[in-house]
Amino acid sequence: MSPILACKHLTHYYGKRKIYEDLSFEVSRGRILGLLGKNGTGKTTTINILSGYLKPRSGECLIFGENIQTMPPALRRNIGLLLEGHVQYQFMNITQIERFYSAFYPGQWKKEAYYELMRMLKVAPGQIISRMSNGQRSQVALGLILAQNPELLILDDFSLGLDPGYRRLFSDYLRDYARAEGKTVFLTSHIIQDMERLIDDCIIMDYGRILTQQPVGQLLDTLRRYTCRVPEGYVPRLPEAFHHPSVVRGVMETCSFLPPAEVERVFAELQVPYSELKAEKVNLEDAFIGLTGKY
Amino acid sequence: MLQAIFYKEWIKLRWYFLLAVLVTSGVAGYCLLRMDRAIELKGAAHIWEVMVLKDAVFIDYMQFVPLLAGILAALVQFMPEMQRKCLKLTLHLPCPQQRMVFSMLASGVVLLAGCFAVNIGVMLAYLPTVLPAELTRNILSAAAPWYLAGFAGYLLTAWVCLEPTWKLRVCNLLIGALVVRAYYLAPVPQAYNGFLPWLALYTFALSLLAWISVSRFKAGKQ
Repeated sequence: MSPILACKHLTHYYGKRKIYEDLSFEVSRGRILGLLGKNGTGKTTTINILSGYLKPRSGECLIFGENIQTMPPALRRNIGLLLEGHVQYQFMNITQIERFYSAFYPGQWKKEAYYELMRMLKVAPGQIISRMSNGQRSQVALGLILAQNPELLILDDFSLGLDPGYRRLFSDYLRDYARAEGKTVFLTSHIIQDMERLIDDCIIMDYGRILTQQPVGQLLDTLRRYTCRVPEGYVPRLPEAFHHPSVVRGVMETCSFLPPAEVERVFAELQVPYSELKAEKVNLEDAFIGLTGKY
Repeated sequence: MLQAIFYKEWIKLRWYFLLAVLVTSGVAGYCLLRMDRAIELKGAAHIWEVMVLKDAVFIDYMQFVPLLAGILAALVQFMPEMQRKCLKLTLHLPCPQQRMVFSMLASGVVLLAGCFAVNIGVMLAYLPTVLPAELTRNILSAAAPWYLAGFAGYLLTAWVCLEPTWKLRVCNLLIGALVVRAYYLAPVPQAYNGFLPWLALYTFALSLLAWISVSRFKAGKQ
């Protein structure tokens, strides 16, 4: 089956600063894919390229098989876009904004999905969006996307500015909707705990490249945090399969996809002076920090 | 779709439109009131003479009012679009982007035209009662480039507002100021007579500039 979204060999620079080079990934139909990366690794740049608001220096992004830069406008009916900070037309009230958007999506607009969410929010129909809290605004933006009923949802940092309650509400509502309706979602967030509840697959980005792309379940099954005791002053020199090894007060910590037996074999081969080797499974946040490093 | 675009622009502009109609018509009314007082004091014949011999138009206060109305209309309409890059939402709608942008501009132009029509209506309600048709035409022909400047101010400000980078915004602003200068070369009756249709064409051609800004916005210039 052809992917709903495919980015091929993307390279982008801001001036002379390289954001990434030769970045390629795909999102299959019905999957929820999260793009994880530290600040400045190019998450928003990727979203901007995907939504057609940034021309990459080279490479292309295809959505439904069409290049995003030359896509016919009608195809955008099937792409729901959530901008960072849940940006919406601040000068409209919740009735006006629904009326405005509905005109662009005849035959697919689900008014009731929007108003169901608005009823839960308990906001007056005449309430202006600019006078709403961040949390309420996020629900308006989500309600509009649900009403649009697109095949693909692109969400940029959906958790920005939301308190834990609204973050949970947003991610649970989105997950249930996407799974029930078989929607494809591509999203970014800087709060990894929210992603763990929501996404099927993840891409972890570091500066300029993709570190890994795989299903979250597989990542959490195979990635382990290894700790062991080493002599004071030991400076770890480990191969690339060991991510960001560090030593603090005689305890070495590193992350690796290698199984424990293989780690022991490599340590022995490299004559690492270790003892009390422990392997632990990690959650998504620890996996992210393990792969990208703390600094 | 076009109705929906106009609906959105109307929500942004409606209070401003009401205010602009009141203020611009108020200034036009004030100019006519001054003329009326002058006619009362010196007699209509004297006023006609001054108008013919000294090219007086008695609505000089109106000179920059349409320009200001146009500039403010564009600010009210396009600043919310650029606030937190809301324009992305507009351009993401399933409607050809050029049609979307030009419909937004057309909405503003139509509302401005409505506002200016009320002004001219106020003048036409009074001037023919005290002036011969030729002198009424003189006043309106002197005011025509000012009203065109209103549309130019609107389109140029839209160009500046939609530009994504501050550096080029400043540059566009300076170019815009020079362009507007063309509408104020000779504030006397009939000065633009033969040139007026070309000036009108030139004014509405300025709407193309906004698309340059939007194209730069789409390319992610920052």
